[in-house]
Amino acid sequence: MIDAAMNKDQLEETKLGMRPHRGLLEEFWHNFKRNKLSLVGGVIVVLFFILGFLAPLLTPCNPVKQFDALRGEHNPLPPLSRSKEGHLFLLGSDKFGRDILARALYGTRTLLELAVGAIAIAFVLGVFMGAVAGYTKGSWLDELIMRAVDIMLSFPTLVLAIALLGAFGIGKTHIGPIVLSNMVKIMVVIAITYSPRFARLMRGVVLQEMTEDYVAASKVAGASGGRIITREVFVNTMPPIMVQASLMMATTVLTSSSLSFLGLGLQPPRPSLGIMLNEARDFLFLGAWWYAIVPGVFISLVILGFNLLGDGLRDSLDPRQARRVQR
Amino acid sequence: MGTYILKRLLLAVPTLVVASMVIFLLIHIAPGGPVRVMLGPMQDEVLVAKLRHQLGLDLPLYQQYLRWAGKALHGDLGISVTIQRGASVMSLIVQRLSVTLEVAFLSIVVALLIAVSTGILSALRQNRLPDHIARVIALLGVSIPNFFLGIMLILLFGVYFLKPWGAGGFVPLRESIGGNLIRMLLPAIALGTAYSAIVMRMMRSAMLDVMGQDYVRTARAMGIGWASIVRKDIIKNALIPVVTVMGNAIGYLLGGSIVTETVFRLPGVGNLIITGVFRRDFPVIQGIVLTIVVVRIVVNLIVDLLYSYLDPRIRYGRGE
Amino acid sequence: MSAMLLQINDLITRFYTEDGVVNAVDDNSLYLNERETLGIVGESGSGKTVTALSVMGLIENPGRIEHGKILFKGQDLLGKSEKQMQEIRGKDIAMVFQDSLSSLNPTLTVGEQIGRVLRFHTKLSSKRIRHRVVELLKQVGIPEPEKRATNYPHEFSGGMRQRALIAMAISCNPALLILDEPTTALDVTIEAQIFELVNRLKKEFGMGTILITHDLAVVANSCNRVIIMYAGRIVEEALVDSLYERPLHPYTRGLLNSILRLEEETQGTLFSIPGEVPDLIDLPDGCNFSPRCRYANERCWQLDPQLEEIAPGRRAACLRVNDIDE
Repeated sequence: MIDAAMNKDQLEETKLGMRPHRGLLEEFWHNFKRNKLSLVGGVIVVLFFILGFLAPLLTPCNPVKQFDALRGEHNPLPPLSRSKEGHLFLLGSDKFGRDILARALYGTRTLLELAVGAIAIAFVLGVFMGAVAGYTKGSWLDELIMRAVDIMLSFPTLVLAIALLGAFGIGKTHIGPIVLSNMVKIMVVIAITYSPRFARLMRGVVLQEMTEDYVAASKVAGASGGRIITREVFVNTMPPIMVQASLMMATTVLTSSSLSFLGLGLQPPRPSLGIMLNEARDFLFLGAWWYAIVPGVFISLVILGFNLLGDGLRDSLDPRQARRVQR
Repeated sequence: MGTYILKRLLLAVPTLVVASMVIFLLIHIAPGGPVRVMLGPMQDEVLVAKLRHQLGLDLPLYQQYLRWAGKALHGDLGISVTIQRGASVMSLIVQRLSVTLEVAFLSIVVALLIAVSTGILSALRQNRLPDHIARVIALLGVSIPNFFLGIMLILLFGVYFLKPWGAGGFVPLRESIGGNLIRMLLPAIALGTAYSAIVMRMMRSAMLDVMGQDYVRTARAMGIGWASIVRKDIIKNALIPVVTVMGNAIGYLLGGSIVTETVFRLPGVGNLIITGVFRRDFPVIQGIVLTIVVVRIVVNLIVDLLYSYLDPRIRYGRGE
Repeated sequence: MSAMLLQINDLITRFYTEDGVVNAVDDNSLYLNERETLGIVGESGSGKTVTALSVMGLIENPGRIEHGKILFKGQDLLGKSEKQMQEIRGKDIAMVFQDSLSSLNPTLTVGEQIGRVLRFHTKLSSKRIRHRVVELLKQVGIPEPEKRATNYPHEFSGGMRQRALIAMAISCNPALLILDEPTTALDVTIEAQIFELVNRLKKEFGMGTILITHDLAVVANSCNRVIIMYAGRIVEEALVDSLYERPLHPYTRGLLNSILRLEEETQGTLFSIPGEVPDLIDLPDGCNFSPRCRYANERCWQLDPQLEEIAPGRRAACLRVNDIDE
C-alpha cells in the first residue's frame, strides 16, 4: 500500500512486503499537524513572543516614565484616560502614572527571557545528567545522579526557589569576583529547581530507546558508543522531551511570576508582571481593576499557550489518547 | 503490606537526612558568610565574632551540621535573629502552622470533591458537552496563577459585592468558627483550583485508560450491569494513579500556600518565610523549609499507604 | 437430528475508522447445533473475533452491525435491547477471552468476580453464591478452592486464571460457550489440560461450543465442524475429518502444510504461506486470497468467489476448487 507520506526507506520496506517502520519522530509530526489544540497553543505562544520581542517597537512610551494626572484625578487612571501631558493610557496607568500597556509589554519580554533562559539551562543540565545516567545504567554514577534528583524533587519547587533566593539575597549577587545580575541569578535558581525533572525524564526515555532493536543493530554494525547516543537515540528521545519542555515553560512562567509577585524577582522599577499584581493589591478597593487584570491576563495567556501546546504535543505523541473506544 | 510500608519508611529517612543537609548548607552559600549578611551594614568586628561564636559558626562544618540536626530532632530549630530577636523559631512556626495547614486541608477537600466527580462525569460523557466544558475549565484552572485568581476573587467578592470576608484577613477558630471558615473560602478556592484541575485531568485520563481495559470487556461479556462496572471496575482501578498524582501535587499546594497567604494576608508559615527572606533571618528560613520538607515526606508516606490499600498487587506482592 | 442453537445469516459488521471502512465481517452465514463444537480458524484480522463479538452484542463505536440476523434458539439477537442482551450474556451465552491477566479486574478477588456474575443472573443468597463459587473452582480443577476464591488475579498462574475465567463462564450453565483463543498465551502442556477440561465440561453441561483459534492443530481434537475465515470472509466449511483429509481451499491447504508433521522427514524449508494478510480497508480486486495463492489465475484476480456448497455440509469459496488436485 503506497502512501504519499512515506519516505524512501518506508517505500523500500513496502516493496519487500514489510510494513513500513514509522519512527517516533515521524509519527509525532504526522499527528501534530492534525491536532487543533497544539496549533492554538502554538499561535498564542508565538504571539506573545512577538509582543515581547517587539516591545520596544510596539510600546506607546517608555515603561518607567511617570506621567502626571489631570487636576482632580489621581493615578492609577483607568484605561483610555489621558495624562496631564496628553498621553493616552490605552490600558490605564499604575500608581506612579506609568503606562500599564508599556509595562505589560516589557514585562512580557522579561518574563519570557527569564523563562526561556531558565528552561534552556535546566534543559542542558538535566538532559546531560539524564543521558549520562541512562547510558551508564546501573553504575554508581547512575545511582548518584538519581539519588540527587530524588532529593531535589522532595522539595516543592517554589519553596526551593524561595530558599535559594533567600540564601543568595535579592538583587545583584557577588560570588567572589563574579557579579551575577539579578535576572541571571533568578534564571539559575529556577533552572536548578527544574533540571531534576528533565534529568529523570531523559533517563527514562534513553533507557527505553536503548532497548529498541535499532540500537542493538547499530551496536552490531559497529557504531561507537558516542555515535549511537548522539544520532539515533537523540532524535527519537526529543519528542517527549519537547512535550515536557513546553509544559515546563508553563510552570516556569508560573513560578517566576509568583516569585515576582512575592517581591523576590526582578526589582522595581524594572517592569514585571508579577510586581504589577502586587502593587495592584493596594488599589483594588479604589476600583483600579485594570491594574490587576491586565498583567494577570497576560501571564495567564502565556501559561495557557504553553499548556495547550504541551498538551497538544503530548496527544500527538500518543495517538492512543486521541482515539478512544466509546461505551 | 507491612514490608512495603517499612521499605518506604526506610527510604524516607535518608531522603530526609540529605535534604536536611542541603537546607543546612543553604546559609553557607550566602556570599560573604551568613553572619555578615544577617548583620547587614553593622559590620562591627567584635559583634561579628560574637555572633559567629553564638551561632557556632566557628566550628568545622560537619560539627555544625550535627549540632543543628541534633537540636532539630529535639524540636529546637534555633532562634530568630532578625524577625523577633530571641524568639524560638519553633514557637514562631507552631503558632502559624495551623493556619497554613487549615488552608491546605480545606483546599484539598474542596478540590477533591469537585475534581473526582467532574473527572468521572467527563470520562463517562467523553467528547460530549459536559466533557468539553470540564476540560476547558480544568485548563483554565491550571493556567491562571493562584495569586491572580485570588486577586480576582477579592475584586469580585470584596470590592464588587462588598463582602467583609472578601478582603482577606484571619479570625482564629476559637473566636468564631463561622468567621474563620468564611474567611477561608476564597483562599481555599484560589489555592485549590489548580490542584483540582490537575486531579480532575488525571481522573478523566485514568478512567478512559481503564475503560479500554480487557477486564471491562470481560465484565460486559458476562452481562454485568453498567453501573456496577463503572463502580467496581472503572473507578476502583482509576483511583490508583489518581492517588499518586494527588500525592505529587501536594508539593504544589505547599508552595502555593505561601503565595495565597500573601494575597489574603493570612498569618501562616508561608507569610513568615517571605518575611524571613526579606529580613535575612536564616534560622527562620531553614526552620520553615525543614518543616515543609517533613510535611511533604509525611504526606508521601500517607499516599503510599493509601496506594497499597487500593492496589492489591502492592499489598500482596507478586504471587506465583 | 439436533436443534439449531445458533444461526447467523448474512452478517455484515463494519468499522468506520479514521483511515477508512473496515469490512470485518463480510456477509457471512454459519450455524451451530446443540451440543456441537464448531471451530472458527483464521489469522488475526480474519474476522473471527468480531463475529463472536457480534453475537454477544459487544460491537461498539466505531463498529456497527450493518446487516443480518443472529438467531439464538430461534430469537433474533440483533433485535434485542441492551438490557435484554445483558440478561443473555453470561447466562445463556458466555464468552471466554484470551490473555487472562488483563481479563480480570486486579482489584477484586477472583471469588468476588465470579460471584458478581451469579449475583447478576441468579437470585441466590450471598451464602449460596459463595458455596457455588467454591464448587465452580473445584469443577475447573483449581486446588484449594476456598483459599483461592479469596486470592487476587495476580496471585494465580496463567493456566489457573484461564480456568477461573472458564468457571466464570459456565457459572450459570449457558447453552452456548464461545472460547476466543483460550490458550494462545499458555504453554503447550497447560493448553492440553485446558482443552481436556473444556471437553469434560461440554459433555457434562451439554453446551454448544464455538472455539476460535488460529491454530488448526488444536481444532482436530475438540471440534466437530470447522470454518476457515480469511479477510472477513468464510472460505471453507467442513466436518473436521473431511477438512484434514481433503482440504478444498488453497488457504486451508496452506494452513495444513504449515503444521509440522512429525511423520514426514524434516527436509527442505519450513512451509509458510507467502505474503501477508491484506489490509481490510483496501482489499484486492477479485479473490481476497489471490495475491498469496499459487493456483490463482486471471479469473481469480478479477472475480470475487462466493461461498458455495460443493457437497452436503461442505462449502468453499474458490473459483478453482474443482480444478485443483492434491
